[in-house]
Amino acid sequence: MKKMIMKRLALLVFVVFGVTFVSFFLSHIIPGDPARMMVGQRASEETLKQVRGQLGLDQPVWIQYVTYVKNVISGDLGTSIRTQKPVLDDLTAFFPATLELAMAAFFIALLIGIPLGVLAAVKKDRFWDHFSRLFSISGVSMPVFWSGLIIILLFYGYLGWFPASGRIDLNINPPTRVTGFYLIDSLLSGDIVAFKSSLKHILLPALVLSYAQLAVITRQVRASMLEVLGQDYIRTAMANGIHGWVLLYRYALRNALIPTVTVVGISFGSLLGGAVVTETIFGWPGMGKYVVDSISYLDFPAIMGFTLLISIGYVLINLVVDLTYYFLDPQLRESEVD
Amino acid sequence: MSAEIQTVKQIEKPITIHPVWYKLKNNKMTWIGFVIIFVIILTSLLAPVLTSYDPTKIYIVEKFQGPSGKHWFGTDEVGRDILSRILYGGRLSLGMGVLAILITAAIGIVLGTISGFFGGYIDQIIMRIMDMILAFPTLILAMALAAALGPSLQNAMLAIAIVKIPVYVRLARSETLVLREKLFVKSAITFGIHPVRIILKHIVPNSLSPVIIQATLDIGDAILMIATLGFLGLGAQPPTPEWGAMISIGWKYLLDFWWYPTFPGIFLFMSSCAFNLIGDGIRDILDPKSNS
Repeated sequence: MKKMIMKRLALLVFVVFGVTFVSFFLSHIIPGDPARMMVGQRASEETLKQVRGQLGLDQPVWIQYVTYVKNVISGDLGTSIRTQKPVLDDLTAFFPATLELAMAAFFIALLIGIPLGVLAAVKKDRFWDHFSRLFSISGVSMPVFWSGLIIILLFYGYLGWFPASGRIDLNINPPTRVTGFYLIDSLLSGDIVAFKSSLKHILLPALVLSYAQLAVITRQVRASMLEVLGQDYIRTAMANGIHGWVLLYRYALRNALIPTVTVVGISFGSLLGGAVVTETIFGWPGMGKYVVDSISYLDFPAIMGFTLLISIGYVLINLVVDLTYYFLDPQLRESEVD
Repeated sequence: MSAEIQTVKQIEKPITIHPVWYKLKNNKMTWIGFVIIFVIILTSLLAPVLTSYDPTKIYIVEKFQGPSGKHWFGTDEVGRDILSRILYGGRLSLGMGVLAILITAAIGIVLGTISGFFGGYIDQIIMRIMDMILAFPTLILAMALAAALGPSLQNAMLAIAIVKIPVYVRLARSETLVLREKLFVKSAITFGIHPVRIILKHIVPNSLSPVIIQATLDIGDAILMIATLGFLGLGAQPPTPEWGAMISIGWKYLLDFWWYPTFPGIFLFMSSCAFNLIGDGIRDILDPKSNS
């Protein structure tokens, strides 16, 4: 186990290095001239030269890369062209909103995805199985930006049940910041009105964001449940008179969930990608909306800072998932010891 | 002796060929997918025949007309016929999706076979670069790439092709590793045949099938990603009639003119769904695990 963790941590260092390399390449090599982008088309040659000197663009490429990595390590992701503030400050300000949305979506996906997958496996080739298949195929095929629009049209435009944008009603004060999550902070401060309002605001975007994940989780749970239900120990348990919920959830699902953990980790990346789009549609003030707003300004430091940060987060999540996987599966743990 | 072989062949034949067809024939979902794709491709190709409206011609007097006999799907903010824009847009959305996957599969096969065949340093370098690409969430890397290359439909397609390469490299590489140990490849090496020839003549043709399956599975996703980049302003630029870009402009008018973003979305959803149905069916048929 220890050896495995060490191995994974070594790999992590390599991957993080790779991520900085790719994002350096994207922000310094491909876009032609970042200095020109910063000063605009009409600036004089002299200003251009000056900015180039300031950015260190007159240095050899490898020195530029070393400087870039040094800056990244010290938390300097550059200054946003659009907001004129350090990118890291901007991103940390928007981060809790994105995390809250992602967690809510994740929660919904697990809450619906696991039971639906179990149901589909138990009722294989019957109505619920076909339903779950259709449901998940439409989930992975649904453009997030479009399903968001349709949901807004329905629940805000026609029914008027839910608000279409923001995290909380404009006339309600956001709760005092403890975690940055409105749902938790409002509960902590005992502000029920704020809690209700933020719950209403988060429901639609979280639902839209969770759909694709939900689809993947349902399929995976179904597949691994089918495999587990065919195994000898389940038959033995049934012969011993264990059936129904206890059999499904305590005996079968426990083992079926192990492969699901990996899938969940992988699809967390698509959840972050989806968050970018969902936040734009629902005017959710998170990192995704921030980066999309930056795109229209071709604000490179902001775009690349976001990419770098998200990717490092993604790598860390994958690490946690792998470790959980080893932790959950005793067979893997034992084989590692040998 | 020869009669014996004859009987063996007779028995073998239906077992090896028949089931795939049998399963495909009975897989209704896959056929629905094929039919949808066929209809969408056909209507896009026949766009000039099916509609008399120019997809980019501005006719401001007719702006924001609701769906009617004259404009089935209504008109947009400058009076262009939405149906005709969707049909012409189908050529771009589907075409670019397929093209992106073709490019990525081609590069993937080349890199994967080289990596697997030669091994050593070349293998290490190629695979570590692939690891770096895999470290990013795909859509976010595609976004950064498209932004760096400059927003355009071609660059969006290129960005998607690049982020999808690692899967194909891995597939082709693992196939190559198996093939390299096969007798016919070993004897080709012993005969001193040039490695490039061995790769092209013996390895690539034999490692194609898993790549093709993966490609079918990926086309739907590529179409969605191109539309997403278009929606974010990183893909097709106006007035190009691309589905994602159309929705990107249309959603600002959602509450007053619902038809504008709704219809391009339906087509986008249908085509991505159809490719996923086909991919799902093919995987079911070829993956022995999912049949159990």
